[in-house]
Amino acid sequence: MGKGGMSQGEKKDGEEVNMAAWLMGVNTLKIQPFELPSLGPYDVLVRMKAVGICGSDVHYLKTLRCADFVVKEPMVIGHECAGVIEKVGSEVKTLVPGDRVALEPGISCWRCDHCKGGRYNLCPEMKFFATPPVHGSLANQVVHPADLCFKLPDNVSLEEGAMCEPLSVGLHACRRANIGPETNVLIMGAGPIGLVTMLGARAFGAPRIVIVDVDDYRLSVAKELGADNIVKVSTNLQDIAEEVEKIQKAMGTGIDVSFDCAGFNKTMSTALSATRAGGKVCLVGMGHLEMTVPLTPAAAREVDVVGVFRYKNTWPLCLEFLRSGKIDVKPLITHRFGFSQKEVEEAFETSARGGTAIKVMFNL
Amino acid sequence: MAAWLLGIKTLKIQPYHLPTLGPQDVKVRIKALGICGSDVHHFKVKKLSTMRCANFIVKKPMVIGHECAGIIEEVGSEVKSLEVGDRVALEPGISCGHCSLCKAGSYNLCPEMRFFGSPPTNGSLAHKVVHPAKLCYKLPDNVSLEEGAMCEPLSVGVHACRRANVGPETNVMIMGSGPIGLVTLLAARAFGAPRIIITDVDVQRLSIARNLGADETAKVSTDIEDVDTDVGKIQNAMGSGIDVSFDCVGFDKTMSTALNATRPGGKVCLIGLAKTEMTVALTPAAAREVDVIGIFRYRSTWPLCIEFLRSGKIDVKPLITHRFGFTQKEIEDAFEISAQGGNAIKVMFNL
Repeated sequence: MGKGGMSQGEKKDGEEVNMAAWLMGVNTLKIQPFELPSLGPYDVLVRMKAVGICGSDVHYLKTLRCADFVVKEPMVIGHECAGVIEKVGSEVKTLVPGDRVALEPGISCWRCDHCKGGRYNLCPEMKFFATPPVHGSLANQVVHPADLCFKLPDNVSLEEGAMCEPLSVGLHACRRANIGPETNVLIMGAGPIGLVTMLGARAFGAPRIVIVDVDDYRLSVAKELGADNIVKVSTNLQDIAEEVEKIQKAMGTGIDVSFDCAGFNKTMSTALSATRAGGKVCLVGMGHLEMTVPLTPAAAREVDVVGVFRYKNTWPLCLEFLRSGKIDVKPLITHRFGFSQKEVEEAFETSARGGTAIKVMFNL
Repeated sequence: MAAWLLGIKTLKIQPYHLPTLGPQDVKVRIKALGICGSDVHHFKVKKLSTMRCANFIVKKPMVIGHECAGIIEEVGSEVKSLEVGDRVALEPGISCGHCSLCKAGSYNLCPEMRFFGSPPTNGSLAHKVVHPAKLCYKLPDNVSLEEGAMCEPLSVGVHACRRANVGPETNVMIMGSGPIGLVTLLAARAFGAPRIIITDVDVQRLSIARNLGADETAKVSTDIEDVDTDVGKIQNAMGSGIDVSFDCVGFDKTMSTALNATRPGGKVCLIGLAKTEMTVALTPAAAREVDVIGIFRYRSTWPLCIEFLRSGKIDVKPLITHRFGFTQKEIEDAFEISAQGGNAIKVMFNL
């Protein structure tokens, strides 16, 4: 349970008023009523219990945009969530009220070639919680397709359920980069995404993982979470050559796969140089849109650049890793807040600060 | 005798002493040799007045040339697969065979690679060379020595199509209609690509591409401002999603165009080695899961090239636009013509 009070609308004619955290403008969040659509035959009504804050949520709060997505009217924020089923649609057979579920945010069209080919994360008609114009899930309740709600094993908490979303990014990246028992891994950035990627890489069997960051505290968290070696790096482009050497020494052997979980010129250039010939660099972070990098020397060593966008078919694997204990995400949750106006504001402030705040979690 | 690179823009035909024939080696009389852009690059004046190509710098005189075919004159004591008189195409690079990359089959990435015409290894624009027998591939009766020499550039296209997984469902876009763009076009078609679009700034080269079977061509500019317009033109010309793009040029403009034009989940294969540092919109491409695949030379491509040529599935002969003999004046003329580009696609020596 989080600290502080809970925001819940007064009952109107005996019916609860569903409240949500709305993004009203730059740096302006407001808890207001959120009217839910009616429950379709394949939908479920979920009472939200745990919602994590993502860097993209913070970005929307500060700038009202994220790459090509622009917030044009008030939008409910939040997408990393888990809750309890309250109602099920007439055709839903796999879930019942009371079931604890983790939610996969994105509803794809299931008709286009990408969807039919299994790469539904690339669907052009994707409706994703808190990616404008689709409302998010930092609310008392949401309506969602049953097939995107995954039942939690008994030993997996609702907070861990909410962590499946960021963890999915790490797992999808590990799959795309073919992580396995023979891939030595370098991770640029020890923030939430770098850390879930590290947990994913270990779970996929990576024998050796080196992680780098500019921040000592985050590096210490990474070491505690199982990094074999950590390297402190700078933001200065001049330092690349020296850092590549340091990193390769820290690995002790060839780097097969690098994950750039920051996404800046410096991190990408470092990764491209440090990775062995024939290896892969997975670009996960979205720091810069345009990058100036030594792409040709990398291509001339057949170092491939693999792109990652969100995830696909990762929830069952996340839940199994959490159930078996192969992955423990609990240490990533550093701050908790309740669902009140004041706490919502504080929570986002804390998340935006970075530093010692890894994952900020709401308990509703 | 061989054509030695003595200094900037200075080629001289001089004696070339061959090493002794090892038990696994053969001695080959070179009959056909093509000029590559990298040969021209070693030859031309570079900004800093050094002769270089990427990380390779010519420090002492070196025999130039690597795209070659010839006739076996002598075989080493342990050579069983070839005999005197055999017509062979030569794969230029000798890898170590011991390192993890060689053992994994990625021998093109071997750090100890010794490659014809890549300093400090002497090339093959010579009367004769000594070479491992296992890197000499016998030519079928209906494949000429010139076509044998063309296996080298063709191998780049073939290796790229393999790495990019070109097949009967991959619509292909090729940036650059020079020798490399054209062999990539031929290879993509041979791998079954249903639709191939090719772009260039030069209309003459585009018409050559059309004659070689490109489904559609698009003229583009060198102006980075035009990326969006060019992407629109290209996608219109394709008519459906572009699954694989080959950047056979390697500039910011071509790479940016390819990254934008390729469909989500597709691949961009970077073959052209024009620039070292590139400024490209990498993140939006990565956020559409458009992967960038690097190409360095080739590996295990000669048998496939030779089969494509034997069966007629690929015809490289139209790419050979100029021919020269092996004299001091002719080698100078040949390099000049090759350096000019334009309507000179492949310049071939006949020795």
